[in-house]
Amino acid sequence: MWLKKLKPYLNFPLLAAISGMAYVIIYSAIDHIKQNSSSELEGKTIIYYWEKWSGAEYNAMKSIVDDFNKSQDNIYVKMLSVSSIEQKLMLATAGGAPPDVAGVWSHTINTFARKGALTPLDGLMKRNGIKASDYIPVFIELCQLYGFTWALPTTPGTVGLHWNKKLFREAGLDPESPPQSIAELDKMAEMLTIVKIKRKGINTRIRYSQLTEEEKDTKDFSIVQLGYSPSIPGWYNEMWGFWFGAKLWNGKDKICANSLQNIEALQWYGSFAQKYGIRNLQEFGASCGNFASPSDPFLSEKVAMVQQGVWMYNFINKFSPAMEWGAAAFPSADPARLSNVCIAETDVLVIPRGSKHIPQAFEFIKYTQKRKVLEKLNLAQRKFPPLADISDDFYQKHPNKYIKVFVKLSESKNAKSVPAIPIWNEYKNEFIVAYDQAFTGITTPATALENISHRVQLQLDRVIKRWELVKERRFKEWRKIDDQN
Amino acid sequence: MKKSNFISQIVIYFLLIGGAMLFSAPLIWMFSTAVKPIEQTMSLPPSWLPYQYLLQKDGQEIPVKIEGKLVSAAFQVHLAGMKSFVIIPADKVKNGVIKLENGNTVIPADIKLIPASKDNMFIIAASENNDKKYIVPAHDINRVIHFRWENFSAAVESMTHFPLYLRNTLLLCFITVVGTVSSSALAAYGFSRIEWKGRDKVFLLALCTMMIPFPVLMVPLYCLFKALGMIGTLQPLWIGSFCAGAFNVFLLRQFFIGIPQALSDAARIDGCSEFKIFFDIILPISKPALMVVGLFQFMGTWNDFLGPLIYLTDQRDYTLALGLQFFQSQSGGTEWNYLMAASFLVVIPVLILFFFTQKSFIEGISTTGVKG
Amino acid sequence: MTRIERKRMLTGLAFISPWIIGFVGLTLYPIIMSLHYSFCDYDILSEPVFIGTLNYQDMLIDKVFWKSLSNTFIYAVFALPLGMAASLFFAVLLNCRIKGKSLFRVLFFLPSLVPMVATAMIWLWMFNGKFGLLNNMLEMIGINGPSWLNDELWTKPAMVLTSLWGIGNTIVIYLAALQDVPRELYESADIDGGNWWHKFRHITCPMISPVIYFNLVIGIIGSLQVFAQPYIMFGGATGGPNRSALFYTVYLYETAFSYNKMGYASAMAWVLFIIILLLTWMATKATRKHIHYGG
Repeated sequence: MWLKKLKPYLNFPLLAAISGMAYVIIYSAIDHIKQNSSSELEGKTIIYYWEKWSGAEYNAMKSIVDDFNKSQDNIYVKMLSVSSIEQKLMLATAGGAPPDVAGVWSHTINTFARKGALTPLDGLMKRNGIKASDYIPVFIELCQLYGFTWALPTTPGTVGLHWNKKLFREAGLDPESPPQSIAELDKMAEMLTIVKIKRKGINTRIRYSQLTEEEKDTKDFSIVQLGYSPSIPGWYNEMWGFWFGAKLWNGKDKICANSLQNIEALQWYGSFAQKYGIRNLQEFGASCGNFASPSDPFLSEKVAMVQQGVWMYNFINKFSPAMEWGAAAFPSADPARLSNVCIAETDVLVIPRGSKHIPQAFEFIKYTQKRKVLEKLNLAQRKFPPLADISDDFYQKHPNKYIKVFVKLSESKNAKSVPAIPIWNEYKNEFIVAYDQAFTGITTPATALENISHRVQLQLDRVIKRWELVKERRFKEWRKIDDQN
Repeated sequence: MKKSNFISQIVIYFLLIGGAMLFSAPLIWMFSTAVKPIEQTMSLPPSWLPYQYLLQKDGQEIPVKIEGKLVSAAFQVHLAGMKSFVIIPADKVKNGVIKLENGNTVIPADIKLIPASKDNMFIIAASENNDKKYIVPAHDINRVIHFRWENFSAAVESMTHFPLYLRNTLLLCFITVVGTVSSSALAAYGFSRIEWKGRDKVFLLALCTMMIPFPVLMVPLYCLFKALGMIGTLQPLWIGSFCAGAFNVFLLRQFFIGIPQALSDAARIDGCSEFKIFFDIILPISKPALMVVGLFQFMGTWNDFLGPLIYLTDQRDYTLALGLQFFQSQSGGTEWNYLMAASFLVVIPVLILFFFTQKSFIEGISTTGVKG
Repeated sequence: MTRIERKRMLTGLAFISPWIIGFVGLTLYPIIMSLHYSFCDYDILSEPVFIGTLNYQDMLIDKVFWKSLSNTFIYAVFALPLGMAASLFFAVLLNCRIKGKSLFRVLFFLPSLVPMVATAMIWLWMFNGKFGLLNNMLEMIGINGPSWLNDELWTKPAMVLTSLWGIGNTIVIYLAALQDVPRELYESADIDGGNWWHKFRHITCPMISPVIYFNLVIGIIGSLQVFAQPYIMFGGATGGPNRSALFYTVYLYETAFSYNKMGYASAMAWVLFIIILLLTWMATKATRKHIHYGG
C-alpha cells in the first residue's frame, strides 16, 4: 500500500514540479535539434556584440549584423540585446568577461575611457583608412577624449523645435514660421495657450493672451491647451543654458553652473511657473500621458510646441499620423549671436578593455562605418548617418521630410552635447533637482545654482586630483595598446 | 445563527471585498492593456474595457481608427498626383479654387463639400492598415467592446525564443525550489531544534548577511563567479539556493521553534537519530511553512530579473523575466500591449501555483493538537 | 565540553552545513571586499586606492546622504507598523470560515505576483492628481486631493500606501502560521465566553508570536532597504520633487553604479548595516518577553 503512504505528498506543487521537468525534457530535445545549426560557426572567430537597443532599432542593427556575417568567412558576430547595458558592461569589464564590441551612448565613453575600460582606436583607424574628417565634426568629437578616439558613431540624433501647424493656424499665427527667438517663443506660447476661466460666473474658454492683467495675476484658471513649457517633456534641464550661451564647465577644472547665462536660463524656465501658475501646470501635466504614448501631450495636440529629437517622427507617424507639424532649430535667447543651437548625441560602437579579438572586432566596426551601411541602418531607424557626405539618394528615400533640418543642426557650430566632465551623472542630477526647486519656487535660481556649483566643484576637485595621479600611466598604456593594434 | 455573528460576517465580507478590489486592480489593468491596440494603452483617464470603432458602410462593418473630427463645413479635396484626399476649411475655397497660405492657388481634380456642423459632426477615419480613408457622419461609427486576443500570439512570437526562455525558467525554478527547501529546512533545524554552544551567535551572523544592501556586493560576487568560471552559464543563478539563504532559514526556524520540544525528546528516548526526527516528525508537521518557502523561491526565480541580466551572455540562456525586456524599447516606444500580454502569460502559471499552494492552509488539517 | 555537548555541536553543525558552505564560499568574500572598498576610492573599473576613513567623513557633510536617511526613517516609521498590522488583520480574516476564501487569498496575493513595471504604471495612475483613482475617491467625500507625486509633502505618504499593496507575502506567512494554532484553544475560550478580541489577544497572538517577530525583523530590514518601488516610480536618482522620495538604497545604488563611487556606496552600506543591526537588537530586546516558544 505504498500508494496510500505516498498520497499526502501527491499535491499540486509536486505535480507542478514533475510536469515542469517533463517540459524541460521536451524542450531540451527540441533545443538539441535546433542546435545543429552551429556547424556554420566552425572555424570562425566569434565576436560578441552587446547592443543597448531593443525593438525596432535592434532589428535595424540586427539586419546589418546579418549582412556582415553573410559577407564573412572568418568572423561571426553574435549580437545580444542587453538592457541596463552600462551596468552590465561595467560589471563584465571589471570581472574580466566583457564582449568584443558594445553599442553604447556617446556619453558612456566619458565614464569608461577615463577609467581605462576601452580600447583606443586611432591606430586601427589609420591602418584601415578611416579618418576623423569623414564625419560630421560634432559626432566624431563626441568619440574623442584626451586626444584618443574611443568609439565610432552609428546612429546620431539632434534635437529641434517641433510645432503643430494646425494649432498655429487656429491661434492666428503663420503656420510656416516658427519662433525665431526665446522672446518670440514666449509670446507665441501665450497666444497658443487656451485656459478655462470663470467670468461673471460663466465658464469661458479663452486664450491666455486675451486675459485681463488681473486675471493673469490671480491665475484662477485651468489650462486646456498649452503653447509651450520647457517642463514638457521635462528633459534637457541641465542643458537649457546652451540656448543662452552658457557653458557648464570651463573644460578643465571649474564648474560654471552659476554663470550669468545659466542663471538667466533657469529664470526663463521658472518664468513659466510664475506665468501660468505652478498648480495649474502640474494639473495640466497630470492630464497628459507618458512621452511617446498616444496621450503624449504633443501627439494628442494639447501642446503646440515641444523640443524633441529626430526620433519624434517615428512617434508622430505611429500615434498621430494626421497631425500637421514642422521642425526647425529651437530659438535661442539672442538669435543674432547664437543660431542653430542644438544638442547632438550619437550611439557609438566601442571595444571594451579585455576583448580577446580586437582586430576582428574592429573589422566589424569598420564594416558598419561604410556609407552604404550607415545609410541603410539610419534609414531603418529614421535617423541620419553621422557622415560629412550623405548621398542624395538617402534624403530622397527618407520618410521624414524635415530630416535635413536635423542634419543641418548637427553641422552648426552651436551643436552642443554632454560635456566631457568626469562627474557628469552627478552634475546632471544636481541640475535636475535645482531646476525643479526653482520651478516650484522653493529657492531662487541664483541660490539653487550656487548650491550646485559648490557641491559639484568639491567632487570635481577630488576626481581631478585622482586623475593627476594616474594620468601618465594611463597615457603610456593607451599609446602602447594603440601601437600594438 | 446569532445576530452579532451575522453582522460580523457582513463586516468581514465588506472589508475583504473592498480590499480584494483594490488588490486585484493591477492584474485587471494588465489584462485589459494586453487586449488593447497600442493607441488605447496608457490613455488618460484609463479605459478598462478595450474598444474598437466599427464603420457601417454598405451593410458591412469595417474596423477603423479615428483620425479627427470635423465640426464645421469643409471640402474634401483630391489633388492631382496624391493618393488620398486633404481636408480644406470652407473659407479657403472660392469657386472651386483653393487659396494656399503662401498666396498661390491650386485647382483640385475633384472636390466635394462636407456639410459638417456642431450638431452634425463628421469623423475622419482610416482603415486599420491605413490604406483607406473615410469621412462619414458621426452616427455611422459605433464604438464596441473588442478584445484583441491576437496580441497574445503576437507577443509570444515576437519573443523569438519563448519556448527556450520557458524551459530555462522552469529548469531554474525546479532546481532552486528543491535546493532552497532542502537546504533551508536542514539549516533551520540545526538552528532551532538542537541545543549547541554558540548556536544563537552563529544565527545572528546569518541574520547579519541580510542587512548589507546588495548593490555593494554585486561587483565582488561577479568576480567570484568569474573566477569559478560560471559567467555565461545558468550556474550562478541556482548555486546559491543550495546554500540555505538567511531569509528562509529564519522563517523556518521560527516555525520549528514553536513545535514542542517534548515531541523530539520522546523520539530521542525511542532511539531515533536526529535526521530521522527531522525527516519523520518535524518536516511533516511543518508542511505549510515549507510550502511558503517553496512558493517564495519559485516566485523569486520566476520573476528574477537582475541575476539573469548580469550573469547570462547568450540569448538562448535567457529567462522569461529577462525576455520581457525586449518589449521595453530604450527609445521610449514601449509596446505596452505586447509587454502586458507577455507578462500576463508569465504571471498565470504562478497564479495557479499559488491557488493550489494556499489550499494547504485550510484550517488546521495536519497539525491540530501538536502545540500547547 | 562534555562528550554529549560535543556530539550535539557536531550534529548541529552538520545540519547547518549548507549554510556554512554558502557563507564561506559565496557570502564572506563579497562582504569582506565591500568592507575593504568602504575605506577606498573605488570606481569599479580601476583599482581601488586606500583612503582611510575619508568616505565616512564625507558622509557627515553630504546633505543628500542625510536627506535620504531621514526620508527612509520617516517612510519606515509609517510603513512598517501599518504593513504589519494590515497583513495580520487580513490574514486573520482570510483564515475565518468564509465562502470564497481561496479566491480572496489569491486576490490579496495578486500585487506580489504582477511584474514591477505593471504595478508601477498602476501606481502612477492611482496617484495622478487629475484622473487618479485616489483623488476621485477623495472628491466623493468632498476632499480636494493633493497632486501626490508632484508635491514633496505627499510623496512619502504615497510610497507608504503603495508599500501596503505588497503585503500579500506577509499574509501568506501569517496564514501558514495560523494553521499551527490548535483549535481546542479557541473552543475552550468559547466555553469560557471570550469574545473575538480576547481570543486574538490571548490565543492567536502568543501562538504565532515567533512569526510576528520574524515579520518584524524582516520588516525592519525591508523597509530600511526599500528600493524598487521608488526607483521605478520616480525614475532613479533624483528621487521626486526636492528629493523627497530619495531613499537610502536608491541613493546608494545610484552612487555605486551611476556616479561610480563604489567606495562611498560601500561605506553607506556599512552604516546602514550598523543601523539595522542596532534596531534589530532593540526590537529583539523589547519583544523577547512576549514571544512564546512552544518548547
